[in-house]
Amino acid sequence: MTTPLLSVRDLEIAFRSDGTDIPVVRDLSFDLAHGETLGIVGESGCGKSITALSLLGLVPSPPGRVTKGQILFEGEDLVGAREQRLNQVRGNDISMVFQEPMTSLNPVYTIGEQIAETARVHFGLSKAKAWKRAVEMLSLVGIPSPDQRAYDYPHQLSGGMRQRVMIAIALVCEPKILIADEPTTALDVTVQAQIFDLFQDLKRQIGAAIILITHDIGVVAQMTDRVMVMYAGRKIEEGPVAQFVRDPRHPYTSGLVSCIPRLMMPPSDEVEDLFEIPGVVPAPRDLNRPGCPFSPRCNRVMPRCRDENPALEVRADGRKVACWLETEVAA
Amino acid sequence: MLKGSLNKLGNAVVLLVAVLVLNFTLIHIAPGDPVEAIVGEMGGATPEMIEQMRAQYGLDQPFIVQIGTYLGNVLTGDLGMSTYYGQPVTQLIWDRIGATMLLVITALMTAMIIGTVLGVFSAQKRRSILSHFVTVIALAGFSAPVFWVGIMLILLLSVSIPLLPISGMTSATSEAGGIAHVLDVLHHLILPALTLATIYLAFYSRLARASMLEVLGSDYVRTARAKGMPQRLVIYKHALRNAILPVVTFAGLQFGQLISGAVLVETVFAWPGLGTLAFESILRRDTPTLLGILFFSSMMVVVMNVLTDLVYRIIDPRIKAR
Repeated sequence: MTTPLLSVRDLEIAFRSDGTDIPVVRDLSFDLAHGETLGIVGESGCGKSITALSLLGLVPSPPGRVTKGQILFEGEDLVGAREQRLNQVRGNDISMVFQEPMTSLNPVYTIGEQIAETARVHFGLSKAKAWKRAVEMLSLVGIPSPDQRAYDYPHQLSGGMRQRVMIAIALVCEPKILIADEPTTALDVTVQAQIFDLFQDLKRQIGAAIILITHDIGVVAQMTDRVMVMYAGRKIEEGPVAQFVRDPRHPYTSGLVSCIPRLMMPPSDEVEDLFEIPGVVPAPRDLNRPGCPFSPRCNRVMPRCRDENPALEVRADGRKVACWLETEVAA
Repeated sequence: MLKGSLNKLGNAVVLLVAVLVLNFTLIHIAPGDPVEAIVGEMGGATPEMIEQMRAQYGLDQPFIVQIGTYLGNVLTGDLGMSTYYGQPVTQLIWDRIGATMLLVITALMTAMIIGTVLGVFSAQKRRSILSHFVTVIALAGFSAPVFWVGIMLILLLSVSIPLLPISGMTSATSEAGGIAHVLDVLHHLILPALTLATIYLAFYSRLARASMLEVLGSDYVRTARAKGMPQRLVIYKHALRNAILPVVTFAGLQFGQLISGAVLVETVFAWPGLGTLAFESILRRDTPTLLGILFFSSMMVVVMNVLTDLVYRIIDPRIKAR
């Protein structure tokens, strides 16, 4: 088997609080192949974003840090890599688009400059060449009259346009991996669709592997090849996207999938109750209790779930699930 | 934008007139007038002489006439005659302004630059010794009275280690001109400027630190890091330019108040600036001079506000749009 582009092994990220390390992500392993799109889903507070930041060595420190495991990028461990080396990787090999386009661009520099400086730092381009490249990128992400827009400041653009600029910044060095952390959460629905169309286009053109973090199951179904579900800092299910939507194995996953409202045709007058998963994600400091962390909210909970935490098992079809139901059924 | 500026200017004029009226009224209410002070210095005078002097300064007129005349004169650029120095107040202020400007600008620039540098460094390493040092300096600077700092510095740098002159702006014995004169003035400048800067430094290091901490936690700094910008560029290009705004605001405000800031330091070091002039004019009931200085300092506040506004526009492009 060839080395995967990115291979995360037994990752644990902890935040220090009152003198103790409280893990927010644990035992996390996953691979990403060239050109693949991996979806990471889960509710807020499941450790998705912090996992993404850790891939770039950007876990806010203090108080956070990677306490265990490896992040192998083309075989090179990025955990504990020198800052200088990380700066070469960031924005060049692995780049990231954040959730908040309104605040993620620096208000005092033109968008052209913010794209161009990335090219200057990584490729050593001259000012003029980098600017030209920035204008090309703006046109690539679908910004009209890019040579004039490049002189605009972020506050002169709408949220959707700003997110396009963020994407242009992320892609200017043609990275091997693009991490998109809920890139459309802050945008209008119509703009969301445009941004995802743009992702699809760019994926074809640039061929980068994408890690898409979202809690929008619809987006996952449309965009990704493979899905990984996280709950309370752990991976609880992983598999190809089609099976994930059609036949979710973990009760949490089926909960997430059932949460998508269906539009009736014709719409019925009777209001259909929306499905919801009761309760909230447990706080990281409550995770040392025995049992499956999802058991308090699970609608198919069994006595065993409260005492023992199920390990991630590989099923016969290659999917991975961490749930006692799987072993019960198999047995 | 032009309309905004005009509005601001209009507000400023109204404000200045209000300041004039208020100052004039306050001084009028306060007991004692210039004539009493002059008579006191002369060692007494006949009631007729006092009456005559009162008439000469217009003090025998009703309050409303006095203030009306004064406002009218100010509008034509005439701040009146000093009752003590016997010179036009504008001339007095003009003679002294250079010394004060030199002192305050030197102190303010030193404090701003060193304070910003300290703030920036300490914000990056929040638990470092430097960071604690900045906190302590700031606290000390906030609480120490400026004259005390001045006296301590004199004791240290002029008495214990006789490096610097204690007071004045030039050496009494020096008659040199040109370069030697400039060096002499600079030599005398160090102590008062250092004293004033120490006090300002507390504000700036604290302010720069807080502002920098906020900016370093912002999304766009995270973006800059995620782009692979070297630490140097993240700090000095992406963070500092945003973090400097409050520092500029504060400098603008403080520079406007240069006279009140400098009064104590100028007095301690016998620096011949507007601060000492204000102090003396209070002691001598030299009302026209005092009023003139007060008016001049409120003008400075207005001018500095406008200048701060302009600097803002250079630093932050968002302000142009408003």
